Amino acid sequence: MPTVQIKDEARIGSEARYKYEPSAYLQKLYHSGTPDLGWMNQHGEWGVHARPGNLGLRLKDIEIGTYGVVPEKGGDHLSMAPRGAALPSDLPSLGFTVNQKAECWADNVMELYEEAVARQWSSARDIPWHELKPLPDDLERAMCQLCTFLTEVEFIAADAPTRWMSRINQDFLEVKLFLATQAMDEARHTEVFRKRALANGGGLGVASPPSEWSLKKIFDSPNFSAQTARLHLLGEGFVLTMFRQGEFLAPTRVDQEIFRRCMQDESRHVGYGTVHLREQLKSRPELAAEIHNELDDAEKILLQLFGVPEQVEPMAILMGGGLDHFDKGMELQGQLWRRIVNEYLQRCDSAGLDRRPRCLLPTDFNKFFEG
Amino acid sequence: MAAFPDPQWFAALGRLMEAEGELFRRLGYAEVRFVIKVIGENDDPVAPLVGLEFDGYRLARAVQLDDTAAFDPDFVICGRRPVWDRMLAEIARGGRPELRHTLSSLALVGDELWLESTDQLREDKFFRFNQTLQEFFNLSARLSR
Repeated sequence: MPTVQIKDEARIGSEARYKYEPSAYLQKLYHSGTPDLGWMNQHGEWGVHARPGNLGLRLKDIEIGTYGVVPEKGGDHLSMAPRGAALPSDLPSLGFTVNQKAECWADNVMELYEEAVARQWSSARDIPWHELKPLPDDLERAMCQLCTFLTEVEFIAADAPTRWMSRINQDFLEVKLFLATQAMDEARHTEVFRKRALANGGGLGVASPPSEWSLKKIFDSPNFSAQTARLHLLGEGFVLTMFRQGEFLAPTRVDQEIFRRCMQDESRHVGYGTVHLREQLKSRPELAAEIHNELDDAEKILLQLFGVPEQVEPMAILMGGGLDHFDKGMELQGQLWRRIVNEYLQRCDSAGLDRRPRCLLPTDFNKFFEG
Repeated sequence: MAAFPDPQWFAALGRLMEAEGELFRRLGYAEVRFVIKVIGENDDPVAPLVGLEFDGYRLARAVQLDDTAAFDPDFVICGRRPVWDRMLAEIARGGRPELRHTLSSLALVGDELWLESTDQLREDKFFRFNQTLQEFFNLSARLSR
């Protein structure tokens, strides 16, 4: 094999601050040429034959034997050692704080992870940007303001869960893998809406203090489950409906493709959050009080979001098909608001949380202005 | 040739789906089971219910149903006959429905198409796999040629 040429090889290490002493093992290997091979006798369950299904070798296909047992409590070593590997005694702790399965698990997490990996898309490649055509000024301004809002809020769903991701015990790696896909999804949403705002003669609109407050509350959640309630159940459920509205109100096929693909991603996140809460509440029913408190506050902030013109008016203009049809857009918005509330409450039902009596969100916005 | 919503019509789309291969692989796999319900003016079904199941990148089943519950669908897509016909006619003309006549858009407002499900989580699969579902229906443009 030809020798690899390395630039300035003689200088390498000439100013190194430490002197490395080869281990006793390496010295023995170097001098005797005899491998140790002791690691061959240290392993987890052996003789495992994971079989691929019709869609390849998925996580569920390797959840077999002892490797398929997800412990109720993560390993006390708190290291990154893979679940099921032989564990030496001197593993350093990374100080994980989410160490109970119930604190982070959802039974659909493996399915959602594989689905996320399989259904990734590229905003550069998969959106037909060349089909963008100039829009009337009111529609372009409304679309750009909506994109400003979405590019402002989307990355919280990466920033916030990944704060907790690094604290989740490595024995629950499937959850961490899923959260990593969510972070990637949100990265794509952030860039695709920014791209859209800058692609058709407009630009970014105005940032929103109520949005920022809702993001801050999510970011500052006291624990992972509280954050999941705010973020996955209410926040992402709300944004999911916005993406569906976006698909509906899209003035161009470009916009429709963007919203439809984002909608697919967002519904996975909602799916994780709903099942996670369901399992949490099953194992710790007393948690319901805390989740209700979080949702009381989150719903209040959501209503504040709908109290500012930069949030209400772009959607109404796009829904109506222009500023001239603002009233029609508001009427459609009102109908869709009922859908947002209905789907949110149905997800709460699915999670096992009876939210209906305590829900602050009105089924009809007009109720605020009557009497 | 069988017409919508005959199971054989869907089976023909399924064969086109497999022939397309790359398009659906790029969208990613879909694992979802649902029912198509075509409704008449008096709110009665005007055609037998059809159960569809996607298993990865292919349509695994297209069957006429007597018992929806036994099929255990994730959701049922309900729509009046003229709405389905309009969507399919637009697809036949342009390869895809007009902007506000996609599956998702129609189901959003809910008066032309709507979803029925026992569990919101399962209904959400309509959104999780929506691009696949729409591209599947869009293949009908090739059937009408």
